Amino acid sequence: MITNYFYIAVILPFIGFLFNGLLGSRIKNEKIIGWIGSGVVGIAFLIAVFSFIEVISLPVGERKIIIPLFKWIAVERLDISFSYLIDPLSLVMALVVTGVGFLIHIYSIGYMHGDKGFWRFFAYLNLFIFMMMNLILADNFVLMFLGWEGVGLCSYLLIGFWYDRKFDKSTTADAAKKAFIVNRVGDFGFLLGMFLIYKTFESLNFEEVFVLATKIPLNEVTITLITLFLFIGATGKSAQIPLYVWLPDAMAGPTPVSALIHAATMVTAGVYMVSRCSVLFVQSEVTMMIVAVVGAFTAIFAASMGLVQNDIKKILAYSTISQLGYMFLASGVGAFSAAIFHLTTHAFFKALLFLGAGSVIHAMHEEQNIKNMGGLKTYLPTTYKTFLVASLAIAGIPPLSGFFSKDEILWETYASGYYVLYLIGLITALMTAFYVFRLFNLTFEGKPRFPSHIHPHESPKVMTVPLIILAILSAIGGFIGIPEVFSGEKGNLFKNWLHPIYEPAETYLFHVNLHSHATEILLMIISVLAGVAGILMARHFYLKSIKPIDWAISKFKKLYNVLFNKYYVDEIYDLLIVTPIVKVSEKFLWKINDTLLIDGFINGTAEIINDLAKVIRKVQTGIVQFYALIMIFGITLIIFLLLI
Amino acid sequence: MENNSIQNILESLNYFTPELALMLTFFVLLLVDLFFRKSKYLLPAISLVGFIVSGYLLVYTPDVKGFLFSTGMTNIGLYVIDPFSFFFKILILLAMIYTILFSLSSKEINEAGGNRGEYYVLLSSFALGMFLLTSTIDLLLMYLSFELVSLSSYILAGFTRNVKRSAEASLKYIIFGAVASGAMLYGISILYGLTGTTNLYLINFYLSNQNIESLPLVIAGLLIIGGIGFKISMAPFHFWTPDVYEGAPITITAVLSVASKAAGFALLIRSLKIMFIDYTATNLQSSAWAILSQFKWNELIAGLAVLTMTLGNLAALWQSNLKRMLAYSSIAHAGYMLTGFVILDNQGIMAILIYFFIYLFMNLGAFFVVMLIADKLGSEEMEDYTGLGYKAPFLGVSLTIFLISLTGIPPTAGFVAKLYLFGALIKAKWIWLAVIGVLNSVISLYYYLKVVKNMFLRESEIEYSHNLGHGNLLITLSLLIPTLLFGIYFKPIIEFAEQSVRIFGF
Repeated sequence: MITNYFYIAVILPFIGFLFNGLLGSRIKNEKIIGWIGSGVVGIAFLIAVFSFIEVISLPVGERKIIIPLFKWIAVERLDISFSYLIDPLSLVMALVVTGVGFLIHIYSIGYMHGDKGFWRFFAYLNLFIFMMMNLILADNFVLMFLGWEGVGLCSYLLIGFWYDRKFDKSTTADAAKKAFIVNRVGDFGFLLGMFLIYKTFESLNFEEVFVLATKIPLNEVTITLITLFLFIGATGKSAQIPLYVWLPDAMAGPTPVSALIHAATMVTAGVYMVSRCSVLFVQSEVTMMIVAVVGAFTAIFAASMGLVQNDIKKILAYSTISQLGYMFLASGVGAFSAAIFHLTTHAFFKALLFLGAGSVIHAMHEEQNIKNMGGLKTYLPTTYKTFLVASLAIAGIPPLSGFFSKDEILWETYASGYYVLYLIGLITALMTAFYVFRLFNLTFEGKPRFPSHIHPHESPKVMTVPLIILAILSAIGGFIGIPEVFSGEKGNLFKNWLHPIYEPAETYLFHVNLHSHATEILLMIISVLAGVAGILMARHFYLKSIKPIDWAISKFKKLYNVLFNKYYVDEIYDLLIVTPIVKVSEKFLWKINDTLLIDGFINGTAEIINDLAKVIRKVQTGIVQFYALIMIFGITLIIFLLLI
Repeated sequence: MENNSIQNILESLNYFTPELALMLTFFVLLLVDLFFRKSKYLLPAISLVGFIVSGYLLVYTPDVKGFLFSTGMTNIGLYVIDPFSFFFKILILLAMIYTILFSLSSKEINEAGGNRGEYYVLLSSFALGMFLLTSTIDLLLMYLSFELVSLSSYILAGFTRNVKRSAEASLKYIIFGAVASGAMLYGISILYGLTGTTNLYLINFYLSNQNIESLPLVIAGLLIIGGIGFKISMAPFHFWTPDVYEGAPITITAVLSVASKAAGFALLIRSLKIMFIDYTATNLQSSAWAILSQFKWNELIAGLAVLTMTLGNLAALWQSNLKRMLAYSSIAHAGYMLTGFVILDNQGIMAILIYFFIYLFMNLGAFFVVMLIADKLGSEEMEDYTGLGYKAPFLGVSLTIFLISLTGIPPTAGFVAKLYLFGALIKAKWIWLAVIGVLNSVISLYYYLKVVKNMFLRESEIEYSHNLGHGNLLITLSLLIPTLLFGIYFKPIIEFAEQSVRIFGF
């Protein structure tokens, strides 16, 4: 079975990393570097596909294959091995990561053409895929954490990839640091969660922990704490309230990075983790509630900020945060498979949106402000068409992929009785359609607003082909999860595929499905209407006549400013958290604690030891008679000591 | 009776093939050296083949079911072959093979002139002596092989005898070694006088069944420990180490710091464990040191271990010569390893074995890089290393990794070694000892990183460019990769060590 060799799909990107990282600077040939970097991911994708075919042909009960590689840390009861878990959930993730990852690698060959750090870029990108694969295939928390930290590192390296460029008011290095530090907060939560899991279950192996979790009676406080800590980790990595602030700044990295890491794969790690630990989460009602509420609020909050931004990538960044919010909303109401479904379709259309944006930025010579664009559809026909598909998909227009996945989330939220959250989700859907088509109209439609010396031109094939493939996926990707109401007997294929994973969790969820198919279809129509309304509004305000929006902005100047300045959250964080920490660090930790106390103690000790060493060194006189004397004297002394 | 013993000896020879191979190598080298003095590669090649053949025979020697070379009723044998000795023999062979490889590119050795033959001849007798040390169960054979090792190493240390410091080192080594070996012989004779036998197992039998006065026994035990302590440079028997290590050719320093120390440890563990254990006790932890229980042997060893590592580390702080610094550092490492011996149960011994295996790679690696740089630079002074990290990045980075591993910082193998050692100590409730070990590691960080600081954080104008040959590159890599790999993937060493703690008769 190919599945048994799945680890090759993990090692290959690592080999690519070593190759490009060690030899890249000497090879200098972009073709070799780029195609090796992409090729390793492509082969990994093929392995994932073949494994998928193999696994799907297995009976449902046997769709779980563990590939043990080696024992890693074995001390006392702690037993952690390097082994990979292949099951429906990790396969979906692996397919998304390697598949979308492969397309983005190819795209990067064109996008990064001529960059002096071309080899470095591909080395990092390969390392990222390697780490991400470890994260999703791990069969225990520690290995998962290794990947978790690894992708964080790669994210840091890639955000600051153009370390010598300015970004916003500071530098890309600052943006990278921000991402890293904010993530540390989340990682700390993850670590605490792991410690608590080990304390409770005496194991960190998924299988063991999850089976035990259903067998032994758990203290409610403990399980709530465990899941909350894990969720804090997820909010960091997946950019949810309150730790979402790093993601907009992460746009400082090259656009393919934004597409791969900050839209399609890494930021979804939190969703995956919650999904993987579903059996733990469902045992704490409090946590589930918090997850759902945080998800819903993040969704609407981020979408509202996206309404007024002018930077093409920033809008997409807020959109990503908002869509991730949907996924957590789904997880919080117990619809884990809907979350993963949305994760998958989102990977398609959001990667496409980012890559399309990259193509635009490329054509516009690094211009990112959509106010200075317009009318690009004649210049960039392929980008235009594919971008349209992605925009329709995210707006939730049937039968594109986003429709099915978003609608499933909304329906499940409604069905589990969270009517307020449902309403929030619905409004977010309207906003989503609006901001995406605002972006779309300002960029591609209307008259050109850029200076005449810029002559935009369509990107090369190596960039447009991935766009086209992603557009096809965005269009038809939703068909893998057609809801039961349409597909009838067969049911929801995607849901059935993931069912074995969530089976243990489902026993804890009390879903009494009182709602009829008629309600479901009615809600579906409502959400489509919301999407259409958003599109029409955007069309009206930004295409037909620009006046109403100007009027609205001046009328609601204050609200506009609040949104435009992103609710001043960055400033508030600066004031409440960053500045106090900096001040305390400087005035107390550095000047008093470090310089005076610690340095004083350490240097004092070091001096004593140094002086002692000076004396001891003198014993080594170089005179051999003296040595022999000391030796005999030593023996005598020891005998003496032993006898008394 | 007579027939029986001859038959036993003949049968024993079947199990003795690795050692026989070394002897054969010794003679072949001796003869070849007479006729083919000119050839540069012939002698090292023969040595390598000899060691590899010996290694092959070692791996394929069947596990023996009895004592070797027993000559009748009163003597139950001289020699055993068990997983424990297998481990150390593999270690010794690896160290020897690396030494030969180092010698090929060592300027000191190649410029030493016509008597290069001796060098390889003595290396093989050195190896043979160490092989015997790891397997012997008889005090006489122990003493003889001890002398074989010592004599070979005296000459090897002074091999570049036209270099003044080398000659001086050799002479000091001989004088000091003579004292140590005299002390040991004295201890052996007392023990023989008390028990009437030289076989370790029989000594144990007499000690546990007869009432023997304890004072002479303590003195005898201590003198023997002292003699072995000389080999492993345990304080206060370590004084020769810095002078000899600095004076000897660097290849010999490297092999002394690894192989001869390994043989010493093997001997120490085996002889003390066999002689002073109480077989009747079921719990190994309490049975260790059971004989002579009125003396706190393990506290004595713990004290010596602390003394050894602290002296080594403190003295290393002030060294400006890299070779001398590494000499002191190797004393400190002997101190760390001794702590594993304090527990004397399988956990402790396993930790020592793991430590040794890793120590082999990182210590040899450090010495090799220092040798390569010294050959080019003509100096081992730390001052001359300034800015070297940028002029010879590969060597600089490699040395940094070896030094970091010697400190015991993850993700290098050195961390794993220390982890298991201190872990075993903590498990056996020797927490204060573990704390001192960790504190000592902190001190060692200072002098190891001083080298790194000189290489990377200071600028210099010295012209230096290093064109590393492919051979040297491969040798460095073959030491570097295990140092890094075993930091992450250490299961195989643990398993190897686990299998190797079995000493014959236990």
